[in-house]
Amino acid sequence: MKAKNERTNWPVTILLIAGCITVFFPLYMAIMIAFKKPSEMTNDIAGALSLPSSWSFENFAEAMRVTDFCHSLGNSLLITIITVVLAILLHSVLAYAIGRSMANSKGYKFIYYYIVSGMFVPFAILMMPLVKQTAQMGLDNRAGVIILYLVFYMPINLLLYTGYLKNIPMALEEAAYVDGATTWYMFWHIIFPMMKPMHATVAVLTALAVWNDVMTPLVIMGGTEMNTLPLAQLNFQTQFGTNYNLAFASYLLALLPILIFYVICQKQIINGVATGAVK
Amino acid sequence: MKKKVKAAVSLLCLCMTLAGALSGCGKSGTDASGKIVVEMIQYKPEAVAIFDALEEKFNATHDDILLKIDSPNDAMTILKTKFIREDYPDIIGIGGDINFSNFLDADLFMDISDYEGLADIKESYLDINKNLEFVPKEGVYAVPYMANAAGILYNKDIFDEHGWTIPTTWDEFIVLCEEIQAAGIQPLYLGYKDTWTCLAPWNAIAVDLAPADVCSQVNRGDTTFAEEYREVAEKVKVLLDYAEPNPVAYSYNDACTAFARGQSAMYTIGSYAVPQIKSVNPDMNIDSFVFPASNNPEENLLNSGNDLEFMVMKNSDKKEAVYEVLDFLYEDENIQMYLDDQGAVPCKKGDFELPAILTGMKDYIIEGRSADYQDHYYPSEMSVDAMIQTYLLDDSENALDTFLNKFDTDWKRYNRDVITKVQKYMDEHPDAE
Amino acid sequence: MKEKKVNDKKRTFLLITIPMVALFFLFNTLPLIRGFIYSFTNFRGYGEYDWVGLRNYIDLFTDARVGKSYLFTVKYALACTILSNVISLILALGLNSRIKGKSILRGIYFIPNVLGSLVVGYIFGFFFTYILPAVGQKLGIGFLSSSMLAGTGTAWIAIVIVGAWQAIATNTIIFISGLQTVPEDVYEAGAIDGATGWQRFWKLTFPLIIPFFTINMVLSMKNFLMVFDQIMALTKGGPSQSTESISYLIYQNGMSGGQFGFQSANAFVFFVVIVAISVAQMRFMNKKEEQL
Repeated sequence: MKAKNERTNWPVTILLIAGCITVFFPLYMAIMIAFKKPSEMTNDIAGALSLPSSWSFENFAEAMRVTDFCHSLGNSLLITIITVVLAILLHSVLAYAIGRSMANSKGYKFIYYYIVSGMFVPFAILMMPLVKQTAQMGLDNRAGVIILYLVFYMPINLLLYTGYLKNIPMALEEAAYVDGATTWYMFWHIIFPMMKPMHATVAVLTALAVWNDVMTPLVIMGGTEMNTLPLAQLNFQTQFGTNYNLAFASYLLALLPILIFYVICQKQIINGVATGAVK
Repeated sequence: MKKKVKAAVSLLCLCMTLAGALSGCGKSGTDASGKIVVEMIQYKPEAVAIFDALEEKFNATHDDILLKIDSPNDAMTILKTKFIREDYPDIIGIGGDINFSNFLDADLFMDISDYEGLADIKESYLDINKNLEFVPKEGVYAVPYMANAAGILYNKDIFDEHGWTIPTTWDEFIVLCEEIQAAGIQPLYLGYKDTWTCLAPWNAIAVDLAPADVCSQVNRGDTTFAEEYREVAEKVKVLLDYAEPNPVAYSYNDACTAFARGQSAMYTIGSYAVPQIKSVNPDMNIDSFVFPASNNPEENLLNSGNDLEFMVMKNSDKKEAVYEVLDFLYEDENIQMYLDDQGAVPCKKGDFELPAILTGMKDYIIEGRSADYQDHYYPSEMSVDAMIQTYLLDDSENALDTFLNKFDTDWKRYNRDVITKVQKYMDEHPDAE
Repeated sequence: MKEKKVNDKKRTFLLITIPMVALFFLFNTLPLIRGFIYSFTNFRGYGEYDWVGLRNYIDLFTDARVGKSYLFTVKYALACTILSNVISLILALGLNSRIKGKSILRGIYFIPNVLGSLVVGYIFGFFFTYILPAVGQKLGIGFLSSSMLAGTGTAWIAIVIVGAWQAIATNTIIFISGLQTVPEDVYEAGAIDGATGWQRFWKLTFPLIIPFFTINMVLSMKNFLMVFDQIMALTKGGPSQSTESISYLIYQNGMSGGQFGFQSANAFVFFVVIVAISVAQMRFMNKKEEQL
């Protein structure tokens, strides 16, 4: 009985493998076009999808020069890393303060719902006033974008952290208090390390969202020569003209960092997205 | 354990300082070496290279001023976003259109009547800017640099090969299109995926068939668009019969590329497209002619407007440096450099060599038989370009009426504030016309 | 001693909470209020402005373009939500069955989710403009032989395909984690009862993963209603303004069209709509769950 159950379901396996084409086809197309010379391109199936006559990285070098790739990559990395680190530090401690006080304080309960309901406020709605406001405060730069991300992801991260905190028994903290620890000390030494699985989730969710976001940097930093990777693709569209080979080389370059990151941390990312959504 | 707290806190501090340091890099009036920095934003994406060259030349010859010219993609959005942020450059280079009117109305520009270079600018181009003011305003707020000319570009080699002649009336034009088609060549290639390109033939036809001040006439309630634009709209649609199937699928870039590769004999666009076309096919033999929308050759006018002009922002505190930059840009040598690269019509008086592609329009330019783009008076949020695109895609029988009615109703709504403004001004100045 | 601890705790918590709440207020609530105030003006974003009372709101309900953008956004969100959830449920069932190379396959199907949607949009844009019509012409399929992005009736479908392509990845992962909560003995019990295939899924599996279904519906609906990047990359709202999403319209006309005040009103109405939809959706789903 058992042996029968564990037999591989080959038809499904084959169907699923075939289905991978839908994932790989656009990427395959992008790679083929990116390696070709404009003269090899004809706007039909063969022209776009055939193998290039020679594998040259010329388009990539040119794309890096045209879009100032290193600069945008640096900006993207900087913004993402700082946002993620700050989100973990600040949102976890905030969740601790609110989560532990919520049960017996109406005020904290209100604050909790006040912040969590911020999830319903899409960026498009805040966009125009924020552009004015950040500029008046001198925050129309990377620092401003980071602060905005910290505010935008506060609701979801707060929800995740407080949810996780419920599983951490109060007894631990009480024991620490008896030993004379301060709340501050106790959080960083006992609770913070215990929330490690949630840190991973928060890091993954925040990083993916920030890395791929276009709108925030577009309106906050647009026209300041500060590009993130996606923003650079948008801003250099006209420079690509009809040189699709150059454009696709640039697209691939923009996708590469996150793909590498994904290959390395695949498990954490998938788990992170799953827990983030389910919680 | 203590170490961990310290680590956490120092990490936090690090992040904060990093963030702080980042916000520190911002704008300042002078750069590290004490030069005065003049920031300029210009909106023409096709002129990026020439402005880079001019910037380099300027900075090589000036020790005390550092000129920074920025030519961003989608510059108008960027510029407006900057204005919303109250982050102004010193000079902006945009076209003479409704945006200019709005910025001027918002009092963003400096009065530069004292700029000596103005004396060298052709009167007619300065007048265009006066027409663009919602209500008359004292002073001069823009120096026109280049005008463009729109109509039809054609592939001279194909024309010469078949012995086709330049049409001077609408009927001749249609006969020509038929002939080209009969020869197995695509007469036109249109890039209507980018909606603004719908306006190119629209403007060229409208200057021939509608009065030049149709917008202010409508604002005063003297006429309607339904009346003035009916024939324009009809003729714009006729062009589709001679274009590639489904022009809405292809962008401006695609159309320029197709024309450059000889896939069509003509292209209804302005001189501003030439650099883009030449980038695909540098040796192409292009000439142009005025759009013959009317059957009376006398009525056919060249569609020409201020394509690029410079304004000084009101809150710029570097007037002298800014004037020096303008002086530089208006040196004959530099204007010629721009002309050779871009194929435009200079607004400065003088003997400049007109680009070969304008040969067919030369007489009109010299005689001044031209009229400004009508879309320069349309409010941008009304999106007339998209309205025209919708109309062109609309196959129903009453498409034309739907379009014209929408034009009239939308116009009233989007111009409400302007109409009130004009009304108020008229009441206050009853003697003004 | 105990008293002191409690005070220390309270003080620490306040010290943490107050600045964070202030930050949140400053960059979330305050702009919301400011936007609301701007919505009563004819502000262009720069220069002077006048108070116009409720004019923007009245215009909003008579503005065909705004109405069209709402229709498009809702149509897009519904189509995307349904399409992506159906496909990902099937995919999740497949990936959760006894197959070879399970984790590799899961890994592959998740790739679209990590890619930036703007760049994905550009890549698909090329596909829809050049590859698909070429295929359509070769096979003689009429509606495919010209670019989908160029037809007012088809452009939105192209955007749905791109949106779903990316969203399927996340939804699948959520469904899989749902399916893994279904205990093995449920199936065994089902097998004894003679339940097979389809029946087994509807009667046994589906009710157990309803909560995950809720999550997917709520999350994807909300994300799809915000659609912006894909529009920016694929159509810029065309052809004939047939694919202007609300976010895109607010950006386009609010920032560069000089309708700062009017689009503020639009944004505020949009906010109310989003809240209403989210609340209704959760209520509805909660009821369903209770019934089951």
